[in-house]
Amino acid sequence: MKKINLIFAMVIVLIIGTKFARAQEDGNKLKLSGELLTDQRFLLEDPNDWAWNENRLTLNFEKKITDNSKFYSEVWLRNIGLPNINSSADLYNKGIVDPFNLEIREAYVQLFGFLSKNLDVKIGRQRIVWGTADKLNPTDNLNPYDLEDVLDFGRHRGSDAISLNYYFNSEFSMQGVFIPFFQPANMPIGIFANALTPSMELPQGMTLMGFTDQINMPKYNLGESSTAGLKFKGFAAGFDFSLSYVWGRDGMPIGTYNTFIPVDTIGGININSQLSFYRTHIFGADMAGSIGGVGVWAEAAAFLPKNEVVMTNDLSAMYPLSPMPVTQDTTVLDKDAYVKFVLGADYNFANGTYLNFQYLHGFMNERGNDALNDYFFLRLEKKFFDDKLKIAPIGGGFIVADWEDIENNYALVYVPEISYMATDNAEITLSAAIFDGKGENMFANLKDYNMMMFKLKYSF
Amino acid sequence: MRKLKLSVLVIALFLMFGFNANAQDANTILKNMDDVMYSPKDMTGKTKIILIDKAGKEKTREADIIQKGTDKRIFRFTAPSSQAGIAVLSLPNDVMYLYMPAFGKERRISSSVKSQNFAGTDFSYDDMESKPNSEKYTPKLLETEEGAYVLELTPISKKSSYSKVIMKVHKTHFYPISAEFYDKGNRKIKEGISVYKKIGNYWNAQEMSMTNLKKNHTTRMIMSDVKYDTGLTDDDFTVRKLKQ
Repeated sequence: MKKINLIFAMVIVLIIGTKFARAQEDGNKLKLSGELLTDQRFLLEDPNDWAWNENRLTLNFEKKITDNSKFYSEVWLRNIGLPNINSSADLYNKGIVDPFNLEIREAYVQLFGFLSKNLDVKIGRQRIVWGTADKLNPTDNLNPYDLEDVLDFGRHRGSDAISLNYYFNSEFSMQGVFIPFFQPANMPIGIFANALTPSMELPQGMTLMGFTDQINMPKYNLGESSTAGLKFKGFAAGFDFSLSYVWGRDGMPIGTYNTFIPVDTIGGININSQLSFYRTHIFGADMAGSIGGVGVWAEAAAFLPKNEVVMTNDLSAMYPLSPMPVTQDTTVLDKDAYVKFVLGADYNFANGTYLNFQYLHGFMNERGNDALNDYFFLRLEKKFFDDKLKIAPIGGGFIVADWEDIENNYALVYVPEISYMATDNAEITLSAAIFDGKGENMFANLKDYNMMMFKLKYSF
Repeated sequence: MRKLKLSVLVIALFLMFGFNANAQDANTILKNMDDVMYSPKDMTGKTKIILIDKAGKEKTREADIIQKGTDKRIFRFTAPSSQAGIAVLSLPNDVMYLYMPAFGKERRISSSVKSQNFAGTDFSYDDMESKPNSEKYTPKLLETEEGAYVLELTPISKKSSYSKVIMKVHKTHFYPISAEFYDKGNRKIKEGISVYKKIGNYWNAQEMSMTNLKKNHTTRMIMSDVKYDTGLTDDDFTVRKLKQ
């Protein structure tokens, strides 16, 4: 009888144990979610060239490893760009006929309450998002910019990093980040390729016939290529605030040495340019809160280059008889601090209208006090039909590159948008981007690229 | 003359006393209702939100809710896929954060959002607020029906999108049975009904429905897996937890 009781008890324990294990397995199973995005754009001007073709499958994998740890990754599998077929040989290359790529945007393990209950650690490829402003964040400098689509403001790639967050209490915390090797920004592609490239002024009588460049990457050792950041975050008097510091490199290269080589006798030249990524200190501060129902935020970053950046133009090849090298030095970036900042506000009206305004001083590609332009962005949107339809009749910005000569140094961007939730998980967006302007600024450079944009996003 | 003065005084005292007694009753009823609604120390549960449009077409949202006291709450969507992971942390003094996984960071929400519909439902952020009614409204007892008190609630805050709320409160158990919401033009704009069920020692709003009369759109919120007093702490209602 005792034996039967014992076996019975063991069976019960086994059943309960199995059920408990199953319940745990269910909670810890790998979750797959993601979205399918198709993004198609064509120019408004005849003959309506195709401006963008992207079909992106985003896969998010998330697994709770234990109660105090999880794994997360985001992978992009994309067909992007248009086929660039020049010869029959290209037809044998599927990568040219149907360009695609695979990107691991994030892949990390996060440990909550690691060593101390107040410490969270994240290790692996990760996006470290800093700043309180809306998409335009001067303090968001740890991850490299992903400038592939310049109209997708604020997009960054993930960095292979270790991030530690220590929470003193529910209101104050300190974050430390270390990124062992430097990753530069990736530049715009397709029709946006030259949007961030400043025009080159050549001495009178010279004509540029060819251009090559060489990037001097920092050496892959901890001292040269690492980036470190520290952020103190808090909440006081109803406002969130943070103070941050980054010791890193500007992710966009800057020309430091140009070699001019004459190719004919009538002023034609080739230029070979050397570019590098300068070291900089970045001191940041931000805040966000609500005043009288209006959401307000401010964010500023002071960039202090480690050294003055000097660009040398080597004209020696043009003066072959000169006994000395003929060079011309120009300071392209002083060792003085320059400050980029954003001031913003938003408001939700009782009738469902949403208004968002931001003033930005210094776009992501601008460096040095004299090069920082002023940007005024405004967006007004309203939802209809139980939030199925969203119309943003006002969206865009006004840019001033030189207040003393606005007529010749401005840009206007108008991006009206209409989006419709066809089902709970499928959103169709139709928008236009109209650019106008004069002078040296990114949006004025796009004035010949007015476009219509169609996007379909399906989440699963 | 003296008699007249005395009569006036008596009537005045009666009116004052009478009104005062009425106000006290209404305050007590509202306070009792708050005690019923907010007596658990904390609560965890799941909610299924069914949105029904004027054609009768239904859409479903699902979310996990945790709440502590009257002013700390995390609402995290689990379905549909387009909204899964989006979470709202509500803290005292109108401090609210929205976490959207796609952006990887929390965002402060301006308090003007309180008059907006919450995530496409017919409940506004204001309706969803777990602040005690006695702190939000000045009550007046309109009548006593069979089984229910009928209160007229006037918002204390001028920012409220309502001019008044007419609420029926269960006479014995003091939970809200129904509510009618009036806009600033004194037009009835919404109607809400709730079904309460006792779980352990507490009355639980098992189902709440809200109908927007102008849009002819209804939202039903059905609670499940409700657990009370599980020992949640203030640390469970932080931006740190919101992002996990």
